[in-house]
Amino acid sequence: MDTKTKIKEVLSNLLKVKIEELKDESTLIDSIGVDSTEMVESVIALEKAFGVKLSPKEITKNSTINDIVSNIEGKIAK
Amino acid sequence: MEKIAVTGIGVVSPSGIGKRQFWANIKSGRSFIKKITRFDASLYPAHIAGQIDDLEKYSHISERLLKKIDAFSHMALVAAELALQDAGIDIKNEDPNLVGIFLGNAIGGWLYAETELRDLYLEGREGVSPYMASAWFPAAPQGQVSIYYGIKGFSKTVVSDRASSLMALGYARKVLAKNKLNMILGGGMEAPVSPYALLCCNTYGALSKNNNDPQAAYRPFDQARSGFVIGEGAGIVVMESIKRAQDRQANILGLISGYGTTCDGVNRINCASDGKELARAIKMALSDAKATVEEIGYISLDGLAVELWDNSEIKALELVFGNNLKKIPVSCPKSMFGNLLGASGALDMIIAFLAMEHNLVPPTLNLDKPAQNNLNYVAKESREYKINKSLIISRGRGGINSVLVVEKA
Repeated sequence: MDTKTKIKEVLSNLLKVKIEELKDESTLIDSIGVDSTEMVESVIALEKAFGVKLSPKEITKNSTINDIVSNIEGKIAK
Repeated sequence: MEKIAVTGIGVVSPSGIGKRQFWANIKSGRSFIKKITRFDASLYPAHIAGQIDDLEKYSHISERLLKKIDAFSHMALVAAELALQDAGIDIKNEDPNLVGIFLGNAIGGWLYAETELRDLYLEGREGVSPYMASAWFPAAPQGQVSIYYGIKGFSKTVVSDRASSLMALGYARKVLAKNKLNMILGGGMEAPVSPYALLCCNTYGALSKNNNDPQAAYRPFDQARSGFVIGEGAGIVVMESIKRAQDRQANILGLISGYGTTCDGVNRINCASDGKELARAIKMALSDAKATVEEIGYISLDGLAVELWDNSEIKALELVFGNNLKKIPVSCPKSMFGNLLGASGALDMIIAFLAMEHNLVPPTLNLDKPAQNNLNYVAKESREYKINKSLIISRGRGGINSVLVVEKA
């Protein structure tokens, strides 16, 4: 499974939203109206899923799925 | 003080969800007390309750929201929706600044909280859901219902043990009577059927331990009483001024016309044995409603099924009603579905409205041999009575007395 698919799967399962709602180029706030507590939960879930450390400043409500993919892939590559 | 109209009823209870199903079961005198099945409660001294098993079927709430809230908020959201539907109100057409919400709750959302606390100790702080902070506390349902409907007016949650929701309704009426809001969602919710909450209820010491015969366990005012049984659920009504209700040609289900509250102030747990402060609250409510004792056609009893509480309740009624007491039908319908603690008064008020509408007094279950014979108990089966005004008594731990007078429109 590629990183993007996995990210979408994690967020979809966690936030109980449909995978189709998570658009590659839209921010999380625009696509699914994510709130601050959901962001805290999302960061923790992504950390667990990918075994990387993420700060809440790196992944925010204004991140797109593509932003999150490049951030996580960058960390995995290191 | 001005009387306030009730134009919509939303009920979520072990005896049914929605007022039709609820009333069909209440008037038939069916018991919904059973052994707790949600978790293994067999080692608790008292492990019976009125439970709601099929809330999801009636729920309009998304999974995304459900994972952030406790069961008591879920129940309140469903009850609020049912009340608004019954009142024929689309909240989008209301001025959100002039809509309020007044709810009562006694213990908070422990099904959510205890799961997260377990995770805190097992997994550390990262194991705790970030929603914990906003899910467990008693005012959480007020917040969730407000967010769901965009309610922005003056609102309150009352935490006053079992008297909470009747107090919230009394408070809400006062706010509406002062013309501060256009409408209020008033009532209460409680979800005590969880391992920790059940433990707290058990340590209170007033629960019936008749686990082998759940339907016969809750027997207020009976010689063989052994304490009360808990139940879960929510009761929420739409309240508005009579004028507004008439202007929008709403079906007025009844009026809230009087409220009184006092405290015994004698003990941390028990009420006073003399019933004097409860009698004073009853008089306050009658005077507020400008109602005479002769006009009261039904009394909804608190009925804790504990000798001290039952006897002091009777004493208070004797002090106020004197020789009239024998004529007035009285009952404690919560014996059918359990004592909803902070939501009990709201359910009692809803039952009183339905009883007045149908001219039928629902029964007290298990009242086979009254410990005192000085009341006109309606037991086992409903009985027909023409009722124009009802009095509802709701009492909390340590002797918090709360009394409401309601009447036909």
